[in-house]
Amino acid sequence: MRERVLVAMSGGVDSSVAAALLVQQGYDVVGATMKLFCHGTDVPDRPCCSLDSVNDARRVCEHLGIPHYVINLETRFGEDVIDDFVSEYARGRTPIPCVRCNTFTKFRDFVIKADSIDAKWIATGHYARVVDGELLRGRDDNKDQTYFLWGIDRSILSRMLLPVGESTKAETREIARQLGLSVVAEKPESQEICFVPDGDYMKILRGRLESNSPALSRGPILTIDGRHVADHEGFAGYTIGQRRGLPGGFPVPMYVVGIVPEDRAVIIGEREHLLGSGVIAREVNWLSEVPAVGSHVQVRIRHRAPLADGELIRIDADEIEIALDVPVSAITPGQSLVVYSGETVLGGGFIEGSPDVAAHTPARARLPILAA
Amino acid sequence: MKPTPIYLDHAATTPVREEVFEAMKPFFGPRFGNPSSTHRWGREARAALDEARERVARCLGARADEVCFTSGGTESDNLAILGVWREARESGRNAVVATPIEHKAILGAVHEAKAEGAEERMVDVDKAGTVIRDSWNTQVRDDVAIASVMWVNNEIGTIQAVPDLAADAKSRGVVFHTDAVQAFGKVKIDAASQSFDLLSISGHKIGAPKGIGALFIRRGTKLQPLMHGGMQDRGRRPGTENVAYTVALATAAELTLAESEKECERLRVMRDRLEAAILASIPDAVVHGRGAERAPHVLNISVPGTDSESLLMVLDLQGIAASGGSACQSGSISPSHVLSAIGVSPDIASAAVRMSLGALTTNEGIDRVAVAFPALVTKARQFAAAS
Repeated sequence: MRERVLVAMSGGVDSSVAAALLVQQGYDVVGATMKLFCHGTDVPDRPCCSLDSVNDARRVCEHLGIPHYVINLETRFGEDVIDDFVSEYARGRTPIPCVRCNTFTKFRDFVIKADSIDAKWIATGHYARVVDGELLRGRDDNKDQTYFLWGIDRSILSRMLLPVGESTKAETREIARQLGLSVVAEKPESQEICFVPDGDYMKILRGRLESNSPALSRGPILTIDGRHVADHEGFAGYTIGQRRGLPGGFPVPMYVVGIVPEDRAVIIGEREHLLGSGVIAREVNWLSEVPAVGSHVQVRIRHRAPLADGELIRIDADEIEIALDVPVSAITPGQSLVVYSGETVLGGGFIEGSPDVAAHTPARARLPILAA
Repeated sequence: MKPTPIYLDHAATTPVREEVFEAMKPFFGPRFGNPSSTHRWGREARAALDEARERVARCLGARADEVCFTSGGTESDNLAILGVWREARESGRNAVVATPIEHKAILGAVHEAKAEGAEERMVDVDKAGTVIRDSWNTQVRDDVAIASVMWVNNEIGTIQAVPDLAADAKSRGVVFHTDAVQAFGKVKIDAASQSFDLLSISGHKIGAPKGIGALFIRRGTKLQPLMHGGMQDRGRRPGTENVAYTVALATAAELTLAESEKECERLRVMRDRLEAAILASIPDAVVHGRGAERAPHVLNISVPGTDSESLLMVLDLQGIAASGGSACQSGSISPSHVLSAIGVSPDIASAAVRMSLGALTTNEGIDRVAVAFPALVTKARQFAAAS
């Protein structure tokens, strides 16, 4: 009896090739596209999760001779991912919805669907690998997606198949061409958040927050010594490390170094004020045995940022603190902190902040990391 | 070896009958002419078209000039609703009456009429989907351009008292349309003795190909065409006629009627047996439309604690083809407007599975489903409880 695998297919090249490879490997492959949100008729052509993508995934399945289904997870995705995305911005943070989608949608709700059709395995087109029950970075360093995968339930690892994790993106495209998956082989990479049309996340926030919500209301732009230099039209439009949209007239480039939702304040400072020598993360999830305090680890604080060496100096329930060997720039609340040992993902959490960045905060304001 | 697949989705579409396929063939070969041409080729096509129209008319108890060929049920419904309303509004009849459990082709056309200025009136239906006469009586007044009631509901099989409603509409001077796409061959349709003014049928529900249907238009019923062009079908439906498919529709309609009585009984026995078997193993299963007179080929059933999306997947993976509520255009499933309209809670509605029987249904298949369905449901419930 061939083992059944349910493949999450977005209509993109990676998940299409994943399905194709599994067919080649002799699995009983079932394709499914998750319908996660609906723009109605507002957005005629979305590169991800749109009707077109469903159609592309279906065409690939037809080509591969496997069944294809659409699984509607709109309600739960809305609650678990989009609502959180909105509330994170409202709290002055910069959310990373792909993590929650992987944690709650792809590797929880979708797994329940797999269970219901007796699929032993679940597969996706992620650039990551599972070896001996451990999650490893994908072979393609540029494409590695473990930054988004740390939150999944550890018990799911043993059921995951990530066929393109062994390939580079270029190799994946080549496989797609060789297999005649012309529908998807040359598709452009989607870098955007799937439910945010045209990258305009403020539109989503305006649609879901009250118009007088603090996150969307005028507030002060302050220097780190508390000088009020300008106003902004809503702190949700800002993220740590941002330069765009800040007032000029400073002798050196200025960056957003903090957001203080209680005061509606956006704090700006110089490049050095972005540096943090430690990272605090919460909602920590381990994909390995919990490492000992004092362990030397590598961490990543932003997708595609270089790995940074550090030491795990504190574990309190679901909160951890890392002391970095060399300070890193723009440690951003709401983003992932992923902890590695070599290629292996040990675990991760959502960044609360950096202990020393708080020192730059004006006296009257408190950084959200300390307020939360 | 995989067991033979079981097709239980005849309300969605049916296989083309062998005789129908054969009857069409000459028109893909030597009899390719355009029926509007005056030469020999044209005449040969015209003869087939005229004959097809007469044959369909006979099947409906109608006259040949009362049969308008269309591309199918959706076009027939749109032509009826919009065609009649657009004509009647000029004489002060501005309201359009329908039920909330109509096919989307009717509801969509009614909404379009509303967007163009019509007053939309929905008649209440009871928990089995039957029109509530008090509501009908208050809605159907002398300001109504057209009232439309589906004869057999495509999702739950409920049969409406269309002859009565049509007669009542007539007594109020209101044009009456019925969508009989699921009713043809399942109930007695006779334009001579029944007083509906318009009636839609569709070929692919009765063994003809997709892409052909007809609208019965009683003599004297005024309507505007949806499309504009040549004078085909008296200008009601311009465009070169699909001769092969009109022949297919005529042949399928005749075959359907010839076997109707026996086939209905055969389907009813199997449907009732399947229903009883499922209810015996799942006593809390909900059969929609129960309590009303139901067409013999539809069984729509919800098992609390399951969802139809998952059930349809597992059924399909076991080779059993059924359907949920109406499918949305992406292929994902949204709760049925019909079930919502008859007061089914969203939880139960989203668990609905429609199994519809027909030509391909056998006793052996029903026996297998009668065992497989409860087994799959029991498992699905365990997962639902665990998650």
